[in-house]
Amino acid sequence: MTHLSGFRSVRKLWTNIPYFELGPATSPVTFFLTVTRNQHRWFSVKTTSPANSKTMNLLVAKTRTLKKEDDNNRQVSSDHYFAAGAAKKRSYLNSSPEQQRDHAMPSVRGTIELPTTPLTSEAWDQLQAEFNGKGSFEDRVISQMLHNHSSIDVAKSLLAWVAAKNNGIVGYNLLVKYLYLCVSHKETSEVIDVYEILKAKYKCLESGANSILIRGLMHSDRWREALLLLEDIKKVMIPSKKNYDDCIRGALFHQDVSLAWSLYQELIGHNLTPLLETLKAFFDFGKNINDDHYSNKLLDILAYLRNNQLYPGEALAHSIKTWFESIPGKQWKGQFTTVQKSGHCSSCGRALESIHLSSEEYEFLKEKILRDVIDGGDQYKKTTPQELKRFENFVNSCPPFDIVIDGLNVAKMFPKSRESQALLSVVSQLAQQSLRLLVLGRKHMLRPSSRWKKEEMEQVRKQAYCFFADNISKDDPFLLYATLNSGNHCKFITQDLMRDHKACLPDAHTQRLFFKWQQGHQLAIMKCSQRSKLTFQHTLSYDTVVQTTGDSWHIPYDEDQVQRSSYEVPTKWLCLQRKTQAPALC
Amino acid sequence: MNVTVRFLRPFARLMVPFTPHGKRRNLYSTILQRYMSSKVPSLSCYNKDSKSPLKQLELDGWKTTMKSSIQEDGVSVVSDKDEDTLTATREMIEMRRLLGAEVPEHITEEELKTLSECPSKSAQKKYLRFLYSKEKMKKAKQLKKEMRAEAREEAKKAKLLETTTAEQQDFMFLRLWDRQINIAMGWKGVQAMQFGQPLVFDMDYENYMKRVELQNAVSQLLESEGWNRRDVDPFHIYFCNLKTESAYHRELVKRYSEKWDKLLLTATEKSPIDLFPKDSIIYLTADSPNIMTTFKHDKIYIIGSFVDKNAQTGISLAKAKRLNLATERLPLDKYLQWDLGSKNLTLDQMIRILLCMKNTGNWEEALKFVPKRKHTGYLEIPQHSKVVSKLKKPMTSSFPKGSLNVRTRKR
Repeated sequence: MTHLSGFRSVRKLWTNIPYFELGPATSPVTFFLTVTRNQHRWFSVKTTSPANSKTMNLLVAKTRTLKKEDDNNRQVSSDHYFAAGAAKKRSYLNSSPEQQRDHAMPSVRGTIELPTTPLTSEAWDQLQAEFNGKGSFEDRVISQMLHNHSSIDVAKSLLAWVAAKNNGIVGYNLLVKYLYLCVSHKETSEVIDVYEILKAKYKCLESGANSILIRGLMHSDRWREALLLLEDIKKVMIPSKKNYDDCIRGALFHQDVSLAWSLYQELIGHNLTPLLETLKAFFDFGKNINDDHYSNKLLDILAYLRNNQLYPGEALAHSIKTWFESIPGKQWKGQFTTVQKSGHCSSCGRALESIHLSSEEYEFLKEKILRDVIDGGDQYKKTTPQELKRFENFVNSCPPFDIVIDGLNVAKMFPKSRESQALLSVVSQLAQQSLRLLVLGRKHMLRPSSRWKKEEMEQVRKQAYCFFADNISKDDPFLLYATLNSGNHCKFITQDLMRDHKACLPDAHTQRLFFKWQQGHQLAIMKCSQRSKLTFQHTLSYDTVVQTTGDSWHIPYDEDQVQRSSYEVPTKWLCLQRKTQAPALC
Repeated sequence: MNVTVRFLRPFARLMVPFTPHGKRRNLYSTILQRYMSSKVPSLSCYNKDSKSPLKQLELDGWKTTMKSSIQEDGVSVVSDKDEDTLTATREMIEMRRLLGAEVPEHITEEELKTLSECPSKSAQKKYLRFLYSKEKMKKAKQLKKEMRAEAREEAKKAKLLETTTAEQQDFMFLRLWDRQINIAMGWKGVQAMQFGQPLVFDMDYENYMKRVELQNAVSQLLESEGWNRRDVDPFHIYFCNLKTESAYHRELVKRYSEKWDKLLLTATEKSPIDLFPKDSIIYLTADSPNIMTTFKHDKIYIIGSFVDKNAQTGISLAKAKRLNLATERLPLDKYLQWDLGSKNLTLDQMIRILLCMKNTGNWEEALKFVPKRKHTGYLEIPQHSKVVSKLKKPMTSSFPKGSLNVRTRKR
């Protein structure tokens, strides 16, 4: 019942928002609804020029898909447990409408009225006299100018006024902030001017100014000097990925492909994750050149995305699609699509890679779970050696299980009913399907109390194998190990996302393996009323990762509209197919 | 157009005679020429939209003055490029300071080395901020000291004027209070060493702590020891598992200096289970499932001297489990409306709570040492307070009435 009331409130929320039907773009102002961070914002888009009509159509299309999503939201989500945005939906269903409507109020701070035109020095003097905040006046003013994106003439007049006051000296911080303003306005000549001044006045610059300079210079004729600035940064620290992004994009802008690739290698070599924009720049640039070497490098990038389980954003996905389609002679065809529950691409019908681990990976993960999650250097932290021994003997004495149940987690799922009763109903429903069950719990469950009825626990013990850990031991590691030990067919039931155990694993690779295994083996109960038939969130049968079969690519990507948590995977895919006659031609 | 070029021409002309002085100058003038040529197209377009009124400030004027100032301190421009990273870092810090970042004004070679050992950029930033606040505090202290010295001088002068008029007075004691107090505390400490209830600080967590955490732990130990010394009935403190020449030992000796050997406590390399019977030991840890109900005068309480900023849970509980010791935690949730912050208290807070419990047995009195920011007030426990007052009746006689059954309530 709790679920139903929550569901109704969501519906109310949605109907509260007036709907603006989107016809063909005839009305001068059209509203466009986006859902970002729990806020509903109305953007008005004016359709005045024909150039805008294209974006308009795009917006209309997007709004339509959004509407479709709204409809999806109205139904109980049929997505899998780890689908992008699923956690958000779950919290949405559980929270009260009041909580959902807490809009963040924009913070109002005491600000200075910024001039819109260059001022005279008297006017600046006067403005300073009115200023009564903390810090220096000119610093505050220029900071606010950056914030408001003022025109550089106003900033210039401020600097001129400061210089006139200080015997022609303008402070370093003002110069850097002015430089930032110039860069954001793309005033290349001004950037070069300030660069000259900075270079002459100061022996070396710090990384902040260097970064801005790199960004400003990269698109000018003197972009090679920006590389020297990058070297300067390297002297003291590893440059940021944004630095590399600027340099790579500048190099590509000036057609220096080999430099761009060597910078990319350097970036990867520093163990930095490249920005998606950097990768997008490579793909965008690739459209215009037809070079096998370059194509192979781009395929390497895709392999990098695969190995590190990174997902491109919507913009990058579009770039990838365009690049593939631009390869002459190969006739690639791209399609944005979804994947069916069975693991087949909706567009081409091919089966995606299975979620199951290979046997080496499986053994590796099992070993790691035992060593790092359960043992972790100190067996007493999560259990005791005696208990571990007892558990191992127990597991080895039993035949492999089909389903391992986290008893406490399942029992606490239905707060309205008694724990032991909830556990019993889940266990007996599964036992009817003649599955071999293991229930993990703690010893206190056996002590009869109002929450744990003795008879019901006896029933549970009749229908399933049970293992009760000490009250101060952690039961999740046992759950993981019992499941892994039983083999690939074995699944486990818990609502727990197991993030803390994932964090115990030593490196990103093992964590990814664990996550992959978890996606395929975790059964989460759909929170319906306890009496109804037990249903699970369906497990994934395919792996959400960039993948290829040679003449096809399947690339999952993040939509701009959906916020994905780290433990969720995207649901949208880019399917790329090569026409079948193409290989014969090659 | 004429705005900049008019200023640049004489500037360039000025530069030319300087060029033979060095390579750098030469480079400079070429850059300047390039700069001028690159400037021209943008200038023409700039000129169009800046048909400003005459009263306006000259928008590019400051650049010229900035550049002309270069000539004055032109020496700094010439620098050797093959400087090592340390100097580069030093300069970088200086530039960051100009930008208004939180970095120290002066930095020593040693600190620079620590900085270069930082594994990440954020660690470097953190360390620099730490140095910055340290420097700031030091300066503020210095300033205060000077001000106080000044005030003292003035007070002295005023007093001198006074004392000349005052007559000789009769006193019972000389002003040797501090020394008297110290001696008295020493006697009490010796008594505690002989007959006091043991309280153990377990120093076995050195490997779990970073340098900063270890230093914090030692500061807390110092303070705990100080609180214990001043108490009516001190504990007999044990520093167990304190290996000689370990970082802990070194830091303690450094902080106590020559006082270390005269401290009235037992520092030992042995484990508490070697010193005391196992069944009388109670390990205090916030992770324990058992709640401490009363303070037992025949038990030996162990406090792990462990500052844990990484939130590695369950380490002390694991240790107690390994040694098969009884564990307990403070009844914080029972008495306090917990708000935020971890249930792990500092060592000095722990010892003050234990001392208070030892002397009065009143939890509400004892838990006033829990930082007020962590809870919103005391909880009402009617049936409990009855039990407590019944239990305490015989004890109250030995204490002033006011100190007991006082319920301090915040809200």
